[in-house]
Amino acid sequence: MHETDQHDLSDDADYAASQGLRSNLQKEAAKRSGPSETSGAEVVYQKDNVTIHPTQYASERISGRLRLIKQGSSLFMTWIPYKSSHTSNDVGQGSNARLFEKERNLYTIRAVPLTDVRSIRRHTPTLGWQYLIVVLSSGLAFPPLYFYNGGVKEFLATLKQHVFLGRSADDSNVFLVNDLQDPLQRSLSSLELPRVVSVANGTSSISASSVPSIEDSDKINGDNHVGSLRLSEYSGKQRQKSHDPRDLSIQVPSLPANAPDKGPGDTEKDLTEAPVASDPLEKTQCRKEKHGQEAATRVGTFELVDCKEFDRLSLVWGKPRQPPLGFEEWATFLDGEGRIMDSKALRKRIFYGGVEHSLRKEVWKVLLGFHAYDSTYAEREYLKSIKKAEYETIKSQWQSISPAQAKKFTKFRERKALIDKDVVRTDRSISFYDGDDNPNVTLLRDILLTYSFYNFDLGYCQGMSDLLSPILFVMECESESFWCFVALMERLGPNFNRDQNGMHSQLFALSKLVELLDIPLHNYLKQADCLNYFFCFRWILIQFKRELEYGMTMRLWEVLWTHYLSEHFHLYLSVAILKRHRKKIMGEQMDFDTLLKFINELSGHLDLDSALRDAEALCICAGENGAACIPPGTPPSLPVENGFLNSQQDDDD
Amino acid sequence: MASRRRMLLKVIILGDSGVGKTSLMNQYVNKKFSNQYKATIGADFLTKEVQFEDRLFTLQIWDTAGQERFQSLGVAFYRGADCCVLVYDVNVMKSFDDLNNWREEFLIQASPSDPENFPFVVLGNKIDVDGGNSRVVSEKKAKAWCASKGNIPYFETSAKEGFNVEAAFECIAKNALKNEPEEEIYLPDTIDVVGGGRQQRSSGCEC
Repeated sequence: MHETDQHDLSDDADYAASQGLRSNLQKEAAKRSGPSETSGAEVVYQKDNVTIHPTQYASERISGRLRLIKQGSSLFMTWIPYKSSHTSNDVGQGSNARLFEKERNLYTIRAVPLTDVRSIRRHTPTLGWQYLIVVLSSGLAFPPLYFYNGGVKEFLATLKQHVFLGRSADDSNVFLVNDLQDPLQRSLSSLELPRVVSVANGTSSISASSVPSIEDSDKINGDNHVGSLRLSEYSGKQRQKSHDPRDLSIQVPSLPANAPDKGPGDTEKDLTEAPVASDPLEKTQCRKEKHGQEAATRVGTFELVDCKEFDRLSLVWGKPRQPPLGFEEWATFLDGEGRIMDSKALRKRIFYGGVEHSLRKEVWKVLLGFHAYDSTYAEREYLKSIKKAEYETIKSQWQSISPAQAKKFTKFRERKALIDKDVVRTDRSISFYDGDDNPNVTLLRDILLTYSFYNFDLGYCQGMSDLLSPILFVMECESESFWCFVALMERLGPNFNRDQNGMHSQLFALSKLVELLDIPLHNYLKQADCLNYFFCFRWILIQFKRELEYGMTMRLWEVLWTHYLSEHFHLYLSVAILKRHRKKIMGEQMDFDTLLKFINELSGHLDLDSALRDAEALCICAGENGAACIPPGTPPSLPVENGFLNSQQDDDD
Repeated sequence: MASRRRMLLKVIILGDSGVGKTSLMNQYVNKKFSNQYKATIGADFLTKEVQFEDRLFTLQIWDTAGQERFQSLGVAFYRGADCCVLVYDVNVMKSFDDLNNWREEFLIQASPSDPENFPFVVLGNKIDVDGGNSRVVSEKKAKAWCASKGNIPYFETSAKEGFNVEAAFECIAKNALKNEPEEEIYLPDTIDVVGGGRQQRSSGCEC
């Protein structure tokens, strides 16, 4: 259970539960700690009628009070929903009231230390209320907080007085919190503090006693003093964060000239008095120049991909695709003995352009891991020969089964029958596999059957023939195809597990990524009861093989296999494609059936290059927050050793 | 309101891999057979408008992956089903033996309100293969099983040649309609599926 909590941070229910647990512990701690240990907390900011919109329905909005509370040198944020009026007005009946109570608990923000906040995104729509999205270091984002009574500027100004608040260089509406550029702070942060630190879940790593017990809405009474904060363990503590190079470019520029809310005497002014001021016009110009090149390569711009701002899409696209890598250029990556000198540069090159078909045979073996990047020509030749012999040995295991033995070997017969059925319906429209008695179909069969003996536990599963087909097509060599397939299955094998946990964890991660990168779409899918993402099952299981024509599948796969920006780039690609069609999905109010049909029928109509560019932009924009959406060990990551990746994420809804 | 809306009848086709689920569906809906179908990954469905006297219904036919490893997806796909079609290949004994598993798995995952009376239809497919010489499951055996499971209607079909497919789906549609809750105002006793069916060679539709 503990392991589950560690990586399943963004499951709302778990999160709420852990929060509840924590607040209980707090109360205990507060009881135990005598008055001598507690010191006063000061409410430095308070705003009423700050509201969240869990759904599109106005009746389900939840209003509450947002506060910033200072305790010693630490600052905490709370948002406590109001209790009474809403419940009685809108949801009278018992079950609804309980439901509401549950929701209310779910969304309550109980004393989150600002050291755990990664960034705050300000939205100033031309119509409607201003709102903020608070993203934690863990990747968890709170639902948008709508300021019905204004107060966004004051909130940010107050924050600025207490924590380091920097603006993202690329988006003046993104404020990065605790970007520890101050050397003193940084050295503080490097102190190992005695608490449980989990990689993925920053929020639950706070020890119980270090959180102020001000979560109870009953205590909201307007005075500025909140008692019993215990900070002895908190003072001076800074979250340890791995620093992304992107963060270093953060500056705090003055507001862009067109900022709607700039005015003299504004509280905002505090924010504009920044150490590094740049000319707003210059900044605008600079951003224009970056169109279609390096735009959107920084935190916080992903919202621009939304359809309503479709005309600005070019702003956030990834880099233009390059021509595929050819022989001459490939040679420049190799040293005299055939070692790849700079594997990262090679992977980057392939990520942006793929590989010429005639070169795939060489390059795929490296990308898939059959050959090491630093292997020499000679080593590769040698490996090839011993692996060929090894393959023949494994193959002979099933070849030696006589008809008489097969009669008593049901599992073998069934497995063989299943494979026989599938190879004759795998890519038969490709000339390489077409026609009667095609020897390549027999090779497909032999390799799959051999694999099912090599990995007898996993055996054969539908979809594997789709994954093998392009590999054999490229390699044109039985044993090398086998070993490349083995390497691929090291990563994708869990897709075919009996309990389907590999698929479930990917679909779960996909839902979390959509939640991060497209909240309206997420909300829509949630209310349409589509959060299981089964409509993307085929995409994920066989890596878009059925969605693209053959050549494009090969192009996509080599891009994915570079793991250049992320091991899970296919998930970002999925988000990108969904985003492209969100207008239709949401506009037509598709239900699960219609959505599944719609997604299935996108097959053959995907524009891979533009989808890749979208996905690149999304991946870069999501950054650490995106990575935090993906549980460790999610395929195609190599399996986590202790096997704590289990199927607890089955029910996300 | 219900009478104004075109009613949707949801049908799920289950059975072992390669028994011809996709082919049966395509033969019925598109009147086509192809040798180049791919193994179904995940699920898909086709719809067909069917007419009962003066009313139109939409038959939504779900085709699912046949490998039992994918059964955990069933929860999402089976829910709200009005009829379940169990398909086996008359030339493959295992596919017949597995009918029971498919039936039970469906009842668990779809959890219909009245599992005892939930309508199933069994199709023995591929009767065209090798002129019937490679057949291993006799009609008698199949009918006996169907009888033991509450008189499940049974049809022998060839998706390749289109034999008996229309008649089978006529029965499937009729059974699906019977399963619909009674909010619908008008339930005809006899149905007339568009296109009509040819003479059926089967135990017939007992409904």
